[in-house]
Amino acid sequence: MAQSFSLKKGWRDVKTIAFLTLDTLFWSKKTLFVCLLSLIVLGLAVVGRVVLSLNLVPTALPSSQVFGTLMATSVIRFLVIFVTLFYGTALISEEVEGKTLTYLFMRPIAKPTIMLGKYLALTWIGAIMVLPTVFMSYMILYLRADMRPFFEDLGVLGRDIPIVLLALLAYGSFFALLGAWLKHSILIGLIYAFGWEGFVAVLPGFTRKLTITHYIQSIFPHGDTLSALSMLVGQRTETIESIVTLVLLTAFFILTASLVLREKEYVLEQ
Amino acid sequence: MPIHDLSYSHWTGEWTSHPYRWWVITRQGITMLAKKRGFLVLLFLSLIPFLVRCVMLYVAVVMGRITLVKVDAKFFEAFLSQQLFATFIISIFAGAGLIANDLKANALQIYFSKAITRRDYLIGKLGIVVFFVTLSTLIPGLLLFFLAAAFHSSLEFLQEYSWVMLPIIGYSLIIIFTNALIVLAMSALNRSARFAGIFFAAVVFFGQILYSILAVLLRTTSVSWVSISHNLTQLGDVLFRSDPGYKTSPWISALVLLIWMLGSVWIIHSRVRAVEVVK
Amino acid sequence: MTAVLEGRSVSKWYGQVIAVNNVTFTLEQGVVGLLGPNGAGKSTLMKLITGQLQPSQGEVTMFGERIWNNYELFHRIGFCPEQDSFYERMTGAEFLAVMLQMHGYDDAEVARRTDEALETVKLTEARDKKIAAYSKGMRQRIKMAQAIAHDPEVLILDEPLAGMDPVGRHEVIQMVRQWGRDRKCVIVSSHILHEIEAMTSTILLMHNGQVLAEGDVHQIRDLIDKHPHNISIRCSVPRRLAEAIVGFPDVESVKFHPEGDGLTVESRKPDDFYGRLPGLMLDKEIELEEITSPDDNLQAVFHYLVK
Repeated sequence: MAQSFSLKKGWRDVKTIAFLTLDTLFWSKKTLFVCLLSLIVLGLAVVGRVVLSLNLVPTALPSSQVFGTLMATSVIRFLVIFVTLFYGTALISEEVEGKTLTYLFMRPIAKPTIMLGKYLALTWIGAIMVLPTVFMSYMILYLRADMRPFFEDLGVLGRDIPIVLLALLAYGSFFALLGAWLKHSILIGLIYAFGWEGFVAVLPGFTRKLTITHYIQSIFPHGDTLSALSMLVGQRTETIESIVTLVLLTAFFILTASLVLREKEYVLEQ
Repeated sequence: MPIHDLSYSHWTGEWTSHPYRWWVITRQGITMLAKKRGFLVLLFLSLIPFLVRCVMLYVAVVMGRITLVKVDAKFFEAFLSQQLFATFIISIFAGAGLIANDLKANALQIYFSKAITRRDYLIGKLGIVVFFVTLSTLIPGLLLFFLAAAFHSSLEFLQEYSWVMLPIIGYSLIIIFTNALIVLAMSALNRSARFAGIFFAAVVFFGQILYSILAVLLRTTSVSWVSISHNLTQLGDVLFRSDPGYKTSPWISALVLLIWMLGSVWIIHSRVRAVEVVK
Repeated sequence: MTAVLEGRSVSKWYGQVIAVNNVTFTLEQGVVGLLGPNGAGKSTLMKLITGQLQPSQGEVTMFGERIWNNYELFHRIGFCPEQDSFYERMTGAEFLAVMLQMHGYDDAEVARRTDEALETVKLTEARDKKIAAYSKGMRQRIKMAQAIAHDPEVLILDEPLAGMDPVGRHEVIQMVRQWGRDRKCVIVSSHILHEIEAMTSTILLMHNGQVLAEGDVHQIRDLIDKHPHNISIRCSVPRRLAEAIVGFPDVESVKFHPEGDGLTVESRKPDDFYGRLPGLMLDKEIELEEITSPDDNLQAVFHYLVK
């Protein structure tokens, strides 16, 4: 019997897997933890707002710069990474640890389809966890009697949302690959995100292009937000090139993850 | 009696004294981790800065290129501060599953049905993380010092820098116990080693993020106490008699770290029980 | 006609350890018991058959097609794994529904098959209860349900009776026998020999990664020449019977029962012996009370071949 595949069936299978994964990911302790992280980020926005409102610092930053700092550090370099690391590495490895992978593999669904479905769930849950935090941070920092900055900087928010989404997609695909491939995927993910990307950021030349964060920071709309970032800002990659690279990287990681899932033998411990 | 009785008989020999029972757990944990090739690779990689610094010592002292590398107290402090990331990774690998896996497998009942106390169990588990973090901090730190002393042809180095040994030991111990206790606390809070590792990472990195935001907002470095790693480096600066990197009082840094450690001990103590009380 | 399941010179090794060693087998419709001691390679063979592992050498085919990464075949395969793992948050009905959705059925068909599968395993009343709250036996039943819900032609059951009470075991054994009669190919792996015996007389016996024997238990027993058949006879005058049979060339030994009410004969040609026995009883005026063959069973075959 030749393996037949139709787009309609494929999409239906992707959705079924996505909903199953979303259900198991969402209603788990992981989500509580991620909500806590999001609340902490919102707490930082509140602190920023308090500092600005009470004029606690003589030469205070404008809301836009506070928002930019929050986005650059706590959202992109913390929340997005933790959400995608946490959920992304768990996509396959939790099925292996929980020994439920057998149920998926014993269905008439191609393994790459399983990977795509799980990745779709990861993107959904990442967006649900992170994007409202971005919106609410903006609200917290900008809502005041004088609403002009709120409306003036809406364009920046409008750019931030797709960038955060792109970051979720890129990091999510990378950590999904790690989770499908390696045993200690969280550790490797942490070493990559906070070791490699942190270390390479301060290296001159081409090496910084070997990180996801370089391309994300290159398309970030916020200006000289932090001194630590200014080196990166000074050596940006063009916006179109960055976006294309991120999209290609995402596609590459997900394809590779699908291939790994297809060819790897997962031995569930008895 | 010509035919000997080979059936079961009670132990009539000497019982080992109680103070060493924790060592059984530590030894077993170390043996199991030492069998993991990945972990050994990680340990080796964590020692690369040590090897680089040995070469630097050689270049500076033996080859006389003192203008390139200055071998002073800051040299040793910089090495230990550089090892913070490595100790974080080693702590996660070695420590995240130590208590979490036992909770998941309901193994605590088995442990406490033997002649060990809760203290033995906790010290035993702590010993595993302490052992491996020591391998990447205290031991290479002291070795670097002895190597520096050995490379110098006279006693000049020792006369000037013999005091550095104590800060090496002190700073290393602070790093070791901060990492070990917090990672064990995270392990005790979860039934999954994965969660424990992520929690620990979140605690460490969130502090750094928080500091960077507050420093920008408030235009001051006196908020460095919010970050564990910044507190560690602040204490390192003070111990090695360098100018502190942040405006935070070292006493506050020390206090914050102490609170983290005591809080971790409290968490571990309250979570590790032989019997689960269901209300 | 293509066999349902075939393995040709299948080997699987993990590093230096050979789990399955040059195994060749052919399975048709009906129930087959896969048995062997711990470490025999049963689990690995099951994983090869279900496409969870790829053979290091040789091939495993189902309906003439390779199983590895051939996901379309899983329309025709149902697998009940040994491990007690589920998506615990789901109810029994939800779990079955999701599994059926992955087979591509529409909502109406999913609902119908879910009801049918739950009915078959007698879990209809517990359908809306979360699996986390199920007892061990119920968890085993829902595992069976997900294996049969899509009406597969091949059923692979790994320790299906584990954790079940005697009534549950009986019901599952009856189900397995019925599936065999329905011309499905059912492969049952178990450590418990009398359970396999209750389900089927066709076995695939493994030891040290190799297939020791394949086929009907009784035929296999007949072929084990090294161990003569034990025939236990209870009769009115055992010593008179012993006197009569001890001269036959196929009789290896005669041993009297401790109770004094019978004897056990070891014979290399049990069929010849059975043929002679009625005439002998009549001639010697011996009343026969009971005749059994204690080792014409799976336990004996297992013991003789494996030990």
